Amino acid sequence: MVSSISHYLHRFKASLKIDHTIRDGVAAELYAHLEDKSRELEENGLSKEEASKIAVQSLGSPELIAEQIYETHAQGSWKEAIFSALPHLLVALLFTSYYWQNIVYASIILALTVGIAIYGWHQGKPIWFFPWLGYYFMPVVVSGILLLSLPQGWGWIAALIYIPLVLFVFIYIMRQTARRDWLYASLMLAPMLVTFAWFSSLGRGNELLASDWAARLQTNALWIVISFIALAAATIAFIRLKPRRYKIISLLIPPLVVLFAVITASGGNICSWSWLLLLFSLSAFAIPLWMQARAYE
Amino acid sequence: MNYGRELLKGNTDSLLLCLISREPTYGYQIVKELQKRSNGYFQFKEGTLYPALHRLERDNLITGKWQILPNGLQRRYYYITERGQQVLAKRLATWQDFSTAVKAVIQPETT
Repeated sequence: MVSSISHYLHRFKASLKIDHTIRDGVAAELYAHLEDKSRELEENGLSKEEASKIAVQSLGSPELIAEQIYETHAQGSWKEAIFSALPHLLVALLFTSYYWQNIVYASIILALTVGIAIYGWHQGKPIWFFPWLGYYFMPVVVSGILLLSLPQGWGWIAALIYIPLVLFVFIYIMRQTARRDWLYASLMLAPMLVTFAWFSSLGRGNELLASDWAARLQTNALWIVISFIALAAATIAFIRLKPRRYKIISLLIPPLVVLFAVITASGGNICSWSWLLLLFSLSAFAIPLWMQARAYE
Repeated sequence: MNYGRELLKGNTDSLLLCLISREPTYGYQIVKELQKRSNGYFQFKEGTLYPALHRLERDNLITGKWQILPNGLQRRYYYITERGQQVLAKRLATWQDFSTAVKAVIQPETT
């Protein structure tokens, strides 16, 4: 392949953050176009190098084509948008009453989340799958925390095996997701980060988890519901909006809502460890977006 | 604002549907055909064709299929769908009405 054509296609692929099968298909079409155009120009007497340069110029900016192709494929349907927001709405529903304390309701939602995440994985990871995947990780993280409470040192031994294993799987899935699109990694991380942010509000003094945490959680239920509804609304906006910059903006709204909600609900009365956890959780929202910005440089 | 370019932009989808409805075709052939039929009037950045084709395919107006040419090269041929034909028929009828009305307004009055 002539260097100007391969450089053009490389720029196009690097700018187009969608499913790699679609991306490779469009790149193959552009390559076919460049091949035809170059051949025609060569038949008119131009050198191979000149012909490919003119062919590339006649196609126009690869970044612009990538942006327009992205807008065509990036907008999910309303059905996908609602289904993506559904896990957030289900969690909000858990907190609208005392459902989160009811083991039956909580188990049903947990089983549903795990089942749908596995189904989405086998369906080729469609866009609606990523928020569900975020919740799928929740019990995995909670199990790790519970392992620490096993008796007489067993907890630490189990954690030493469990935590690296979970981290390995988590990083593997994050890399897979980010390779497709960093913004999908944000979509996946969002429920975990909102949960950690609210967890941070349950401490008091130097305690990370105050003894009356369940009562405090229930007292803050309205703000928690608002947080998850904000996440649901942002997810719908993310799926339905076409331009990539609007998608990015939609993902920055939930952390602001959560920060406001946590501070208002706790009256700022949370321990220093909790502040650290809260700020880390909310700033982590920006990590995939920051990675995205770096990719554009 | 270039009025001609704006007109082309607003009618690209109809022009593409019209060409594809005549015979299944692929990207580069579409560009050549548009230039040939319009006597070189329609000049645009060729890359903008592909987002338009993919938009039409997403809306189920056309469908694309990779095919091997006799010389062994592969090209993605686009076929018009039934829905595409219906949409095209409606757009052509609207265009005819519009064109007739514009002509009637702009042509000098005969006494």
